[in-house]
Amino acid sequence: MIAYLANLATLASIFGILAVTLNFMVGYAGIFSVAHAVFFGLGAYAGAQVALALVPDALAACAAAALIAGGLSLCLALPALRVRGEYFVAASLGLQMVALTVFSEAKPLTGGLGGLIGIPQPRIFGVSVGALPLSLAALVLILLAIAAMARGSFGRTLQAIRDAESAAEALGKHVAVAKALAVGFACAGAGIAGALFALHMQFVNVESFTLEQSVLVMAMVIVGGTGTLLGPLIGAVLLLSLPAGLAFLPFIPATEVGAVQQIIYGAAMTLLMIFRPAGLVGDLSRGRSAA
Amino acid sequence: MDLMLVLQLLLGGLQNGALYALTAAGFALIFGATKVFHVAHGAAFTLAGYVFIYAWNAGWHAAIGVAAALAIAVLFGIGMERFVYRPIQRHEGSFFTVFVAAFGVSIVVQNLVGMVAGRGFASVDSSLSQGVEVLPELFLAPVFWVAIGTAILLFAALTLFLSRTHAGVALRALAQNPDLLRAYGLSSSRLSILAFALGSALVAPPAVLMAMTTGLNEAIGNHVMLLSMAATMVGGIGSLRGAAVAGVLLGVAESLVLLVLDTQWAEAASFLVLFGFILFRPTGLFGVVAAK
Repeated sequence: MIAYLANLATLASIFGILAVTLNFMVGYAGIFSVAHAVFFGLGAYAGAQVALALVPDALAACAAAALIAGGLSLCLALPALRVRGEYFVAASLGLQMVALTVFSEAKPLTGGLGGLIGIPQPRIFGVSVGALPLSLAALVLILLAIAAMARGSFGRTLQAIRDAESAAEALGKHVAVAKALAVGFACAGAGIAGALFALHMQFVNVESFTLEQSVLVMAMVIVGGTGTLLGPLIGAVLLLSLPAGLAFLPFIPATEVGAVQQIIYGAAMTLLMIFRPAGLVGDLSRGRSAA
Repeated sequence: MDLMLVLQLLLGGLQNGALYALTAAGFALIFGATKVFHVAHGAAFTLAGYVFIYAWNAGWHAAIGVAAALAIAVLFGIGMERFVYRPIQRHEGSFFTVFVAAFGVSIVVQNLVGMVAGRGFASVDSSLSQGVEVLPELFLAPVFWVAIGTAILLFAALTLFLSRTHAGVALRALAQNPDLLRAYGLSSSRLSILAFALGSALVAPPAVLMAMTTGLNEAIGNHVMLLSMAATMVGGIGSLRGAAVAGVLLGVAESLVLLVLDTQWAEAASFLVLFGFILFRPTGLFGVVAAK
């Protein structure tokens, strides 16, 4: 039971990182990416490869993951600079689909559908550490960084760009640089989450990085409330404990649990958008201007 | 390279492309008239296809099956407009709110269909879908001609409707200037229901034909939705003709890419095309610049 709860808590912190970094893009910079799982995946593969081939050091794995995910975030930043709204969502959808194919076909790097197995336990400078404290620490650090940025000039610039891009540009803000940095930061964060995920599960394959996963993370952000600091975290915990809760309900056949879960996610997303578009935590007036 | 193989793939691509073109035209019609990015369009496709399969397996006449597929698609479209999009737009829902709500609905539909009809491949066997060797090593099923014929016929009907009838002209007016339309005393809400009904009706024939040819699975809606969205954007938002042409092009591209790459890359190829268009030519092939 304790192992089960620890596992759930580790996953909650990992998905918490994903949700808060996605929220940084969506809520502060107004960049609606449905490709967050791509960078989660990049980080996971990078971290796994570092741990498998070089050293099983958690810090090294996270650093490599953040570098690769952050570097390749240019794929997302480029369309974000050129187009907005529907076009950008379509571009990120396209990126997600292409990346998924690349993940399952680049077998030497990703192991294809079979995935990478036998990833060693995380260590820091040779000392073995659990995945839970690692993930929690990463989550807290990233939350602190976001809080600092949101209050500082960078966050204000992003919010200004989100609300009125030309006005921000007229005030002398570097729109392109700010957007690229926001995307880079959020994707690097997703990469770190990926590395932690790989170290925790000791196994990764392409199934964790699908469009459904991207939408799940998106749902966490939306259910919790975009543009709030802690909302996405609450969303992550809620949506992750849902399957755990459902598993205890006796009248749902085990084979249908996944489908029932998905139906609940989907219905929750739709109903929330109709009745409370700012999410559970967000206040309504802010949510509207943010959306 | 084997000429017959190229021809075979080309014809297969044309057949799928005709189906994509119809679905994409429905998406483009809805998007053009109401500005709603109808991501649940694929769900209408799934529902229509599975209702047809159900009717077929129940032994009903094919015409009844098609009618039932049409009915469910239209009902679904109108329901989405009435119960999801309109309440959201009442409180100034942004584009993204609409997107997430519609995505939620398609997740629900996909899983419900999977639970009720069973997961995995489903299709109907009809004499229409049996291949005949028309040239040495070139197989063509009669359904090919049905698909192409249906697409051409429906496009002709749609063009006539949009240019010759009162309601059609009003729909195009709604696409161009909703405020002016209202000033002339027309009801924009009734017209958007019409747009959703018509656009959703367009998915029923391709859904039925796909059930006869390549078959369906519960996730087909996702694939179809992504393709129609890609076709709408590659064709140029606001242009029905563009969406149709791009639908055919994507179908052919998806098929011809098999000459050089494995099947897994087919979908990625379409999205690479889309990605390129968004980066380098966001207005698409026939795009009218949105600012009017």
